[in-house]
Amino acid sequence: MNLRRVKSIDELAQNVPPPRDLWPAISAAIEAEKAAQAPGAQRRPRWLPAAGMAAAIALVAVGVFIGRSLGPVKFIETAGTREAAANVLPAALRDANYRKERDVLLVEVQHKLNDMPAAERTKVAASLATLRRSIGEIEAALGSDPANALLQELLVNSCQEEMRALTAVRDSGNQET
Amino acid sequence: MADGATARMMQTDTVVDFDVALIERARRGDSRAFERLYRDHVGRVHGLCLRMTRNPDLAADCAQDAFIKAWKALPRFEARSSFSTWLHRIAVNTVLEKRRGPANAEIPVEDPTEYEEPVMSFDSPVEEEELEAAIQSLPQGARDALVLCGVYGYEHSEAASMLGIAVGTCKAQLHRARGLLKDRLERGVR
Repeated sequence: MNLRRVKSIDELAQNVPPPRDLWPAISAAIEAEKAAQAPGAQRRPRWLPAAGMAAAIALVAVGVFIGRSLGPVKFIETAGTREAAANVLPAALRDANYRKERDVLLVEVQHKLNDMPAAERTKVAASLATLRRSIGEIEAALGSDPANALLQELLVNSCQEEMRALTAVRDSGNQET
Repeated sequence: MADGATARMMQTDTVVDFDVALIERARRGDSRAFERLYRDHVGRVHGLCLRMTRNPDLAADCAQDAFIKAWKALPRFEARSSFSTWLHRIAVNTVLEKRRGPANAEIPVEDPTEYEEPVMSFDSPVEEEELEAAIQSLPQGARDALVLCGVYGYEHSEAASMLGIAVGTCKAQLHRARGLLKDRLERGVR
């Protein structure tokens, strides 16, 4: 606005440029819209969420370890830690049905991986390995701090995520075709 | 409509003709054509949002959202109508959506024809900044009507449709806005 004088209200400037260029944000939204409508967008592999889950759990695990390393108790993994962890697993994870179901899934997923193109197989296997490694780290941490309710909950949630990821990989071919 | 507003609507029509080719290209997914449309119209859209919201950040957000919605709605745009008016309608909707609570209180109108008035003019020139401040001080409903009809030259029927109110209410709000504005300018807003 300026000190220009007007004699009627319709002499006010209709054009008032925005303080910043809005185009970059509009352009980004348009590109996202185009990408969502592209024919390939609907054919996203069903195993892709597994990679996301793995990344999320890995992040949480890293967060837990950073938190623990800043705390007063120092955790050093020893050979006996994993055995100790097995004894302090939450009841849900010690359930025989859960273990059996998981073993069956692992076999089915292995078959599915064998049928995948090499590049895809590498990505999926790496994601599942990350997921598994994160769970292992939480188990190990739980071994040194068995009463930690947060770690127990984190472990149960992570194992549930693992089951979902394994199921997604197993079912991926069935839904895409 | 008064002479000044009519002249501006004619100017707008000229722009509409020029826009047709760009609109067609944008409809086919050409974002560079849409950018041209954005550059041509963003000042008016933002001005409208700023006057309706009185908040620079919110106005920029509303203008941005309005253009994104316009891109998505382009296939439904009917080329025979004014692109500018269509865009303004989207912008007004966006502002109304972002507002909390009732948009425009209905004012009882006994005889809407009594509110037919020419464009508001002043006995002596007023500083633009002072006038903008006086407009900003108006109640929401009165301000909306004044901005759309007085500043942007829309007919009562168009403004009422954009605001989702009756034509009579729009006329009454504009009448109220004029009275308040005159009073505030005489007293000095700031």
